[in-house]
Amino acid sequence: MSKIEKALNKARTTGSLRIVSPQPQPVSREKVSDDASTASHVTALIEQRASSSEAIARMEEKAPLSKQALSHNRVIYPELGDNATVRAFREIRTKIIQKAQGRNCVIMVTSVSSGGGSSFVSLNLGVAFAFDAGKTSLLVDCNLKNPSLHRLFGQGSFRGLTDYMENSEMDIADIIHPVGIERLRVIPSGGKREIPAEYFTSLKMKQLLENIRQRYRERYVLIDAPPMTESADTQILAELCDFVVLVVPYGRVTDAQINTCIKAIDDKKLVGVVFNDEPALPDFRWLDMLKNPFAAIREVISRPVNHRNKKVK
Amino acid sequence: MSLRPEQILKLLANEAFHYRKVLVIAFFAINLAMLGLGLIWPKGFTSTTTILVEDKKIIQPLMQGAAVATEVTDRSRLAREVILGRKVMNQVLEDAGWMKTNPTPTEQEKIIERITKRTTITVVGKDIIKIEYKDDDAQRAFTTTKKFADLFISESLGAKIDESKAAFDFIDKQTQEYHDKLLRAEEQLKEFRSANLDARPGTDADISSRLNTLQTKIEQSSQDLKEAEVKKFSLEKQLSGEAEVATTLSREGQFRSRIAELQSRLETLRLSYHDNYPDVIQVKHQIVDLNQAITEERQRRDAAKVSGKVIIDEGVINNPMYQQLKQELSQTRVNIEMLAARIGEAKRQLQQELERGRRVHGGEATLAELTRDYQVNRDIYQDLLRRRENARVSMNLDKERQGLSIKIQEPATLPLSPSGLRFLHFVIGGLVLGVLLPLAILYAIHQVDPRLRIGSLISEKHKIPLLAVVPHLSAPAETQAVRRELAWLSLMVNGTILVVLVTAALRVAKVF
Repeated sequence: MSKIEKALNKARTTGSLRIVSPQPQPVSREKVSDDASTASHVTALIEQRASSSEAIARMEEKAPLSKQALSHNRVIYPELGDNATVRAFREIRTKIIQKAQGRNCVIMVTSVSSGGGSSFVSLNLGVAFAFDAGKTSLLVDCNLKNPSLHRLFGQGSFRGLTDYMENSEMDIADIIHPVGIERLRVIPSGGKREIPAEYFTSLKMKQLLENIRQRYRERYVLIDAPPMTESADTQILAELCDFVVLVVPYGRVTDAQINTCIKAIDDKKLVGVVFNDEPALPDFRWLDMLKNPFAAIREVISRPVNHRNKKVK
Repeated sequence: MSLRPEQILKLLANEAFHYRKVLVIAFFAINLAMLGLGLIWPKGFTSTTTILVEDKKIIQPLMQGAAVATEVTDRSRLAREVILGRKVMNQVLEDAGWMKTNPTPTEQEKIIERITKRTTITVVGKDIIKIEYKDDDAQRAFTTTKKFADLFISESLGAKIDESKAAFDFIDKQTQEYHDKLLRAEEQLKEFRSANLDARPGTDADISSRLNTLQTKIEQSSQDLKEAEVKKFSLEKQLSGEAEVATTLSREGQFRSRIAELQSRLETLRLSYHDNYPDVIQVKHQIVDLNQAITEERQRRDAAKVSGKVIIDEGVINNPMYQQLKQELSQTRVNIEMLAARIGEAKRQLQQELERGRRVHGGEATLAELTRDYQVNRDIYQDLLRRRENARVSMNLDKERQGLSIKIQEPATLPLSPSGLRFLHFVIGGLVLGVLLPLAILYAIHQVDPRLRIGSLISEKHKIPLLAVVPHLSAPAETQAVRRELAWLSLMVNGTILVVLVTAALRVAKVF
């Protein structure tokens, strides 16, 4: 998968990409397997997808974020290769696409408890969707009490969800921002508000989600929702979504808490659980340090690299 | 929640990484503590000796039943009593060099307590007593152990001889006592026998039959006596009716019959003759004469009665009836006398028999008592005699040291290397414990912590799909920090091992 994406990216940047409608090779595998009913149907679908891809390819992009900046923000990127985290997000993405049966959908990501990593999961899941050149993803930061996606923008304030809800004249396009990751768009939370439930229950919110979903056929909308155990808004949001992904942080919640959350979510909408933040054991380099104390001493006396300096404006 | 082994390993690895600092600090602390403990742990030299206690020797089956081998039942307890007793201890204090510093009695008490604590006495198998003594001085450990064994042997043999001697003395004393008792009982029995000859078995029946005989005799005699008296009475009555003699009666009778005859003649004559007829007159005269003669006779008789003179008259004849009665009466009288005397005698005898019976009765009870005493004493005495001989043999057996033999099986040796926990044990123990203990604690904590740490359990328990397990994605700065931290921790682990090894090396080189 990653190889195809890499090839696609490379081809596009070099300008040598030419999309030929009857040939299905660059199109995502799962689609083919799902809807291979009749040849004509496939051809029509591929044409449709190709036009969609073209539209996606024409999307305006901000200057891409550097790998260091991505790493600093704990965002995955294709060049990480066979990293376990990347693998995990790809797996989640595949499972969701399978579940959605080819249609684009609104997916809510919520955590069992606060600090459970729903923002991390939703962001990276969005990135994983955007790995595919034929797909785009839109992140909506609905965690109004404790927003986090705005940090991708660096300095300055951007208009977001709350601004849109309060200002009836505002256009949807005004709150959708590119962040420097290809095919990934973000709607930040906007100004901090204390009573989000009112926005979530409003018709405008429903219309907003419907609009952004239908704008691109291959757009996957991801909602970063507040933790289930801390906010009743999450359940309201779940009503508006097609699917729910529950994030269970490692070593922080009990079975009883998980059970409560599962019971609160509609069985049909719950795609599954993501077990997040399992400690990643270091590779065996540290054993080398154990064997070779000089390496350890070198490591200790070397000046730490300040990654903050390398952060992109 | 039961976890599979690989889940447990994964959990432990994850948590160990999470608490890496605590683990390394614990490793460091445990190693240092064990090292310190190893340095201050007293060196112990253990000296061991075994004593063979044998009592199944050739002599025993031979002496079966005749001698009682003094049994040593609870050997370890006995050995403990003997060895840790004050007598042996004092000797050990003296000989093993504890008294060199002239300790006060209180200090001695403390030393004895310490020695007692470090002494182990166990019974190995059936017959072997093992004495172990641990000391920080090898020479002293050896001397003390050796002393313990030597003193134990001499003490237990002495105790055995004393015991059998005491047993013999006791039985001997008892035998003497019963001998005296038996003699006394014999004497009493003899005295009683000689004082009461009657007192023998069966006397009672004899007396009773005799009493019966006497009773019968008395009854018979009384009957006879009564009969005799009746006879006497009737005889007397008869006798009173008989004339003593027929004499007087016959003369007068003669006269009277003559008179009557004459009268009838007279009457006849008168029928034919007148009164003046000579025959009549003559007859008349004759009658007068005869009357005269009667009177005279009477007078004479009366006179004789008064004077008491017996006038023998030729005409007197004895009355035979009278004589016979008289004789009979006399006979009866004699008979009565005799019977009365016999009854009297029989009664006296009866009385005497009764008296004797009474006396014999009391005597018999006394005799039974005396005999019983005598028999009991005799039995006990005989039994004691036999026992005394057994005891004598037992005593001799012990004296000859033929009964239980105690000897040193394996003599105490001078310990060359210290025993028990050594410094090396502490070093290895510290390294192993430093790793295992924190992990064990970690595992124990997670056994009771309900928070979820294994992703696969979610789908197992809640029946919802697990989309993925997302490992922690570190930012580069974080990775750097972890790396630095790991470097520090690895240095700390290496440092700890270095310290431990250096200390061990110095210890081996006997620097301290």
